[in-house]
Amino acid sequence: MRSIYLKILILSAVLSLACTTKVSEWVLLNALPNEYVLAYYHKDAITEAVKQHNSEISAEIKSANIQFRNVLKKDIDQPYYALYYNNRLFGRYNDFRELNDIAVSPLRQKIASELMAGKLCVMLYLKTGDPQKDEPGLQIVRKTVAASPFGETITIIDLSRTSTEEQHFVSMLLNVESDLKDIQQPMLYGIFAKFKALEPLVAKGISEENINLMVDFLTADCSCLIKDDLPGTDILYAGSWENPAPSLINAIIDANPALAHQ
Amino acid sequence: MEQDTIIYDSLEIRPLPKWLTDQRDGLNTYQPEIMEMKEDKSLGISFMITGSVILLIIIVLTVYVLKKNRKASL
Repeated sequence: MRSIYLKILILSAVLSLACTTKVSEWVLLNALPNEYVLAYYHKDAITEAVKQHNSEISAEIKSANIQFRNVLKKDIDQPYYALYYNNRLFGRYNDFRELNDIAVSPLRQKIASELMAGKLCVMLYLKTGDPQKDEPGLQIVRKTVAASPFGETITIIDLSRTSTEEQHFVSMLLNVESDLKDIQQPMLYGIFAKFKALEPLVAKGISEENINLMVDFLTADCSCLIKDDLPGTDILYAGSWENPAPSLINAIIDANPALAHQ
Repeated sequence: MEQDTIIYDSLEIRPLPKWLTDQRDGLNTYQPEIMEMKEDKSLGISFMITGSVILLIIIVLTVYVLKKNRKASL
């Protein structure tokens, strides 16, 4: 009898370690977004005017996932700003005015509000501007999401890669992988948690099968493997992630337990 | 988890993102190690050795005391 009790105790311990929180919800609640670094490179002493500009920039990005640094560098012709993410150069700016709204934009606010409202993800369709390339993929996305049992928890947003209002956002999306800037094809990004953008589906990769795999990835029980090596790139965003609404997919799974992943 | 996107010749053979291929191939699911009960004899062996040592000491001491007492009585 004693060995039965011991086995029950060990089984309970193993079951208590199993994580049933979904990937999207776990990352939103537990993972902090990675920080960008905005560096101001200069070779001479910083003037009062530049100090003023930099303090304005610092104030604007204060609540964002970014650090601002002044870097003395002797071998440069003129001062400039550089934006880095995980030591990868995302952008170079010769004038402080180019940094206006670097951490906030209307579309980013809209996406953040959707994520905070408990949506599973936002599927962002980055358009090329050529309807012949863009429309087929967009139709596949809409059709697949509409057919998904989690469709009502997924928001589809399209964005032109030539948008001037969202130029910083587009730049970050095109830097998620090193070659995306050179690919003139529509791209589909899964954005979830605290503005984490998955590596996108590109061109013919935007298929019903792959979109469903994206949904499966986000609705899967959060595994230790995913926690240890989260994919995607955190988008720069100045906003609060406090007190998100409960994830909407939980109600769907509670109503239909067959949808829960094994 | 960045996919290596350098080694390909065209968009047709551009690799899919790693998170997607891992999801497709079921590699994102981490299965905890199954714990199995194994018979542990170490405690019994320990008791046997300790008992043997104690018995040996008692025997040695008994023999020693008996011999000593016999010599004393002679």
